[in-house]
Amino acid sequence: MAETVRVKKAAVAAPAIGPVTLLRIAIVVTLLAGWELLAASGWLYRDVVPSLVAIGSAVADLLMHGEYYFNLGVTAGEIGVALLIGGTAGVLVGLALGANRFLSKAFESYLYYLGPTPKIIFFPIMIMWFGVGPGSKVAMGAVSCFFPIVLSVAAGMRQIDKVLIRVGNSFRANTWQMVQKIYLPAMRHPIINGIRLGLGVGLIGTLLAETKLSNKGIGFLIIQAYSLFDMPRMYAMLIVLFVLAIGVNALVGRLGGLDSIKRA
Amino acid sequence: MATNTSQPILVVEHINVRFETPDDGPVIAVDDVSLDVAPGEFLSVIGPSGCGKSTLFNVMGGLLGGYEGRVSVAGETISGPHASIGMVFQEESTFPWRSVTDNVAFPLELIGMPKDKRIERARHFIKLVGLDGFENRYPGELSGGMRQRVSLARTLASEPKILLMDEPFAALDEQTRLLLGDKVLQIQQDLKQTTLLITHNITEAVQMSDRILVMTYRPGKVKRIVNIDLPRPRTSEIVGSEAFGRYVAQIWADLREEASRGMKDDETRTMRVDEARS
Repeated sequence: MAETVRVKKAAVAAPAIGPVTLLRIAIVVTLLAGWELLAASGWLYRDVVPSLVAIGSAVADLLMHGEYYFNLGVTAGEIGVALLIGGTAGVLVGLALGANRFLSKAFESYLYYLGPTPKIIFFPIMIMWFGVGPGSKVAMGAVSCFFPIVLSVAAGMRQIDKVLIRVGNSFRANTWQMVQKIYLPAMRHPIINGIRLGLGVGLIGTLLAETKLSNKGIGFLIIQAYSLFDMPRMYAMLIVLFVLAIGVNALVGRLGGLDSIKRA
Repeated sequence: MATNTSQPILVVEHINVRFETPDDGPVIAVDDVSLDVAPGEFLSVIGPSGCGKSTLFNVMGGLLGGYEGRVSVAGETISGPHASIGMVFQEESTFPWRSVTDNVAFPLELIGMPKDKRIERARHFIKLVGLDGFENRYPGELSGGMRQRVSLARTLASEPKILLMDEPFAALDEQTRLLLGDKVLQIQQDLKQTTLLITHNITEAVQMSDRILVMTYRPGKVKRIVNIDLPRPRTSEIVGSEAFGRYVAQIWADLREEASRGMKDDETRTMRVDEARS
């Protein structure tokens, strides 16, 4: 009797939690269980795989101290300024390349070559120019996010429906009106997409630079925990960073998404 | 007939346009075309595809330079887009990111009209094209015919002296086209709007025009100008009348020759391409 009741319940609950969700949960549970087993087994050297309890308490410890928030603020500030500089430059250069065939023919292939190059190779130069502090991190982030944004904006500009430009011209819009009322709104999808990609690589550029050489920021804290072999703390920071990155990406995606709903 | 009694508002004199094409070398798109339009008149320019009528549209709208000849509005020679000429394009041309009201208010926004005033004006023209109730919708939510009406209202909102339309209903089905034709006729009569319509559709041209200018296939020349003496106000019902049928037959006789020349030309070109490939 009890058996049938359980089966019925499961059948009713199934549509609410689909097979995909169940599988996802199963994967996470399996990974966590495997991790915990590995931690308990003692096969690996000391804290290389700390127990989940240790990581959990390290997360709590992290979030209760002001030091973490200060460094988080430093990193967020660096990324923000980097995105502002790299993004503005990217949009402006992208507009110029999109508008002018000659410029785009002359320069765009360089951008395509430089785009996929790991920007971290410029880090030593950035340190010489901007010092060990946040300046060099901002420069790294800005250089990183410039490329996807400029290429995306230039391509977006060339894809604008030409008739909309003829409409603007026929109503005698001036250059500023054309940019503000036709080009930019017509390109909002490629621009948002470019900024999304730019944010991703900007984040990577900044954090990578911080882990290489710095005195502040999340990357610095991670490397510090690593060199002190405080593994629970290091994992705790990775987890928090992971959650933050997902949150930021969802936020930017939402900005683009809302827009496309309105467009219908 | 308004044609002969008053001074023409739009005068097009001896327009010549040449293009360099990669396949056929230099092509004469428009060959010595002259026309004039009187205030309040409805003139259609009809011709087979490839007769250069869209080129003529761009020349008159000031969007194409590098031609010989002269276009003048109320005595003033134009060089570039002119405030007196409002263009409606063949292609889908509404701004998808703007609501119907904001689309129609676009030209008013450009001249810096205050917001409440331009919204009021936009609503007036939205009502004129019969789209009241859709003010806050986006083009993506409307049908093709409705979007073309938004484009028409947007151009009318700029209150042009001359409404210049390039096959505005070409992408629509025949029924929608006839009904929209009624709308245009009614608006044209209400506003006494001087209108120049570029089209390849004989029914459309006869239904709406005071005069029809028939163009030849490449090079595009004026073949004939036909006066349409049908009573006004007109509606699409006139399509069934005997006089209407006679005009259609007469213009088709002119056009048929040109269209078949165009078809032959296409065939030779295709054959030439095939030969070049084999």
